[in-house]
Amino acid sequence: MTESSLYRVRMTGISKRYHPIQVLDDVSLTLKPGEVLGLVGDNGAGKSTLSKVLSGAIIPDAGRIEIDGEAVSFATPADARAARVEMVYQDLSLCDTVDVAGNLFLGREPRRRVAGLSFLDKPRMHAEARAMLDRLGIVIADTRLKVENLSGGQRQSIAIGRAASFDPRVLIMDEPTAALAVAEVEAVLDLIRAVSARGVSVILITHRLQDLFLVCDRIQVMYEGRNVAERHVSDTSIEEVVNLIVGRKFAARSAKSADSAGVPA
Amino acid sequence: MSDSVIKPEAPSRLVRASWHEKAVARGGVVSIALFFAAVCIVFSLATDAFLTAPNLLNIVRQSAPLLIVASAMTFVITTGGIDLSVGSVLALTATLSAVLLQWGVPWPLVVLGLLCLGAAVGAAQGFFVAYEGIPAFIVTLAGLSVIRGVALLITGGYSIPVDPASPFNVIGRAWFLGVPVPALIAVAVLAVAYIVFNETAFGRYVTGVGANAEAVRRAGVNTRLVTLAVYVLTGAAAALAGIILASRLGSGSSNSGQGFELDVIAAVVLGGTSLFGGRGSIVGTVLGALTVAVIANGLILAHLSPFLTPIVTGSIILIAIWLNFRLFKGGSRSR
Repeated sequence: MTESSLYRVRMTGISKRYHPIQVLDDVSLTLKPGEVLGLVGDNGAGKSTLSKVLSGAIIPDAGRIEIDGEAVSFATPADARAARVEMVYQDLSLCDTVDVAGNLFLGREPRRRVAGLSFLDKPRMHAEARAMLDRLGIVIADTRLKVENLSGGQRQSIAIGRAASFDPRVLIMDEPTAALAVAEVEAVLDLIRAVSARGVSVILITHRLQDLFLVCDRIQVMYEGRNVAERHVSDTSIEEVVNLIVGRKFAARSAKSADSAGVPA
Repeated sequence: MSDSVIKPEAPSRLVRASWHEKAVARGGVVSIALFFAAVCIVFSLATDAFLTAPNLLNIVRQSAPLLIVASAMTFVITTGGIDLSVGSVLALTATLSAVLLQWGVPWPLVVLGLLCLGAAVGAAQGFFVAYEGIPAFIVTLAGLSVIRGVALLITGGYSIPVDPASPFNVIGRAWFLGVPVPALIAVAVLAVAYIVFNETAFGRYVTGVGANAEAVRRAGVNTRLVTLAVYVLTGAAAALAGIILASRLGSGSSNSGQGFELDVIAAVVLGGTSLFGGRGSIVGTVLGALTVAVIANGLILAHLSPFLTPIVTGSIILIAIWLNFRLFKGGSRSR
């Protein structure tokens, strides 16, 4: 157990087949406490599927998942959440017509009991939401604002803030910086650093390779449902990562067309 | 937007909302409040009888069934659903209350039993909507037909009288502390609806389901149960309305409440609740229901044809919603 308890997450031999397509083929993934792992690959490489296996949204055909050295099996997202694995979905999962505090506390609203009946404790909700936002350095003027009135970056911050404040051991983020303005990307990356500094292990899925080098400790490259490479950020460059993602495809093609392998982008 | 995200030292960009901005933010409720005030002022000036305590109490007494069912319908519409069967449930419970009283069933038992029946009918429809994924419009359209049919079958189309001496009639006819009992029941239901809608987790999830059901589901809430529950509310509310109506009229008719569902939906939509879900207001619904009731009452007092009522009501629905879209555009971005 000593070897595996080093790791916050240890996924080994994960396979998943959607009828004719082997989406994941004997994939493994490891993650240390407080580590930020960048998971990259072309569309359809299996990174989202792999992260959904870890968040309980997809049940793998084979493989083993250990969290802090303990074997787990997730049948639903709720199981994963109970094991403190949180995922920020690409489509954010916010309720537009509910206010900021309401979205942060969705599904676990603080209650107060009056005459045996349970009511929302709104003052406490807003106070705790304010503290939560301040702790993560998220700037939102008023927790009573409806989410539909916020910018893309602020909405993203709320989605991440909500996941982070469940006190997760693992936080999975699927394309958190897609479709954000430059300054908003910076704010989200700061947020990722803040979360990992608190000991949360982060898996970051992104197509923005420059982001990886700003926040990640390690990068794992996937290609057609397999792991193809793993690099420490300090040992690699953006060119190499591009080659690992794209180059193999050229190499694979070149096997037929006898072309030269690895075209640097 | 973005500079406030990365510069915490920048001065707060939260500007105190002006009355106009506040009005826009609550667009639906404000426009119906203006309509309600305008209608009241017009009828107060045009007729002597309108602005008198007996008449106003009479309006509330007569509109009690509408107020009660509309408050429940606000929950359904806020989830993005609809319940077309409320008029039929009202007719069924009105006839059944007369039938059961004729059989000699004690009246408290009749009331309790019929409330449970209404809730059960709502639960059955809610099951098909929430768990089987059939659109609410279709499920409750079927319910509208079937439930009215059952009421007709029971009575053979005749109206069934309630014994005038029965204490059951207290519900619809008695006055308590100078206020009609149906009005008191309506106020109590509205107060509970307001609190549940705004101050409980259930009310929050109702809004959430209408805004983004998947988000609420991912947050670990049993959204299907929430959806089923709102139809239980309309079923029980329609049953209560049927009991009040039978008690007030002293008979149960299987033809009562025809088109009632449309009045209810009109009141809710007038009050600024979005038919697309996610946005609802109990206060707006109260104002919407009272506006509909005041127009009907005022036109009669002004000795105008009662057939003008549907014309005026319909026009106001269109104008009020048009105002929401135009004048108060900012309040409803995502439409």
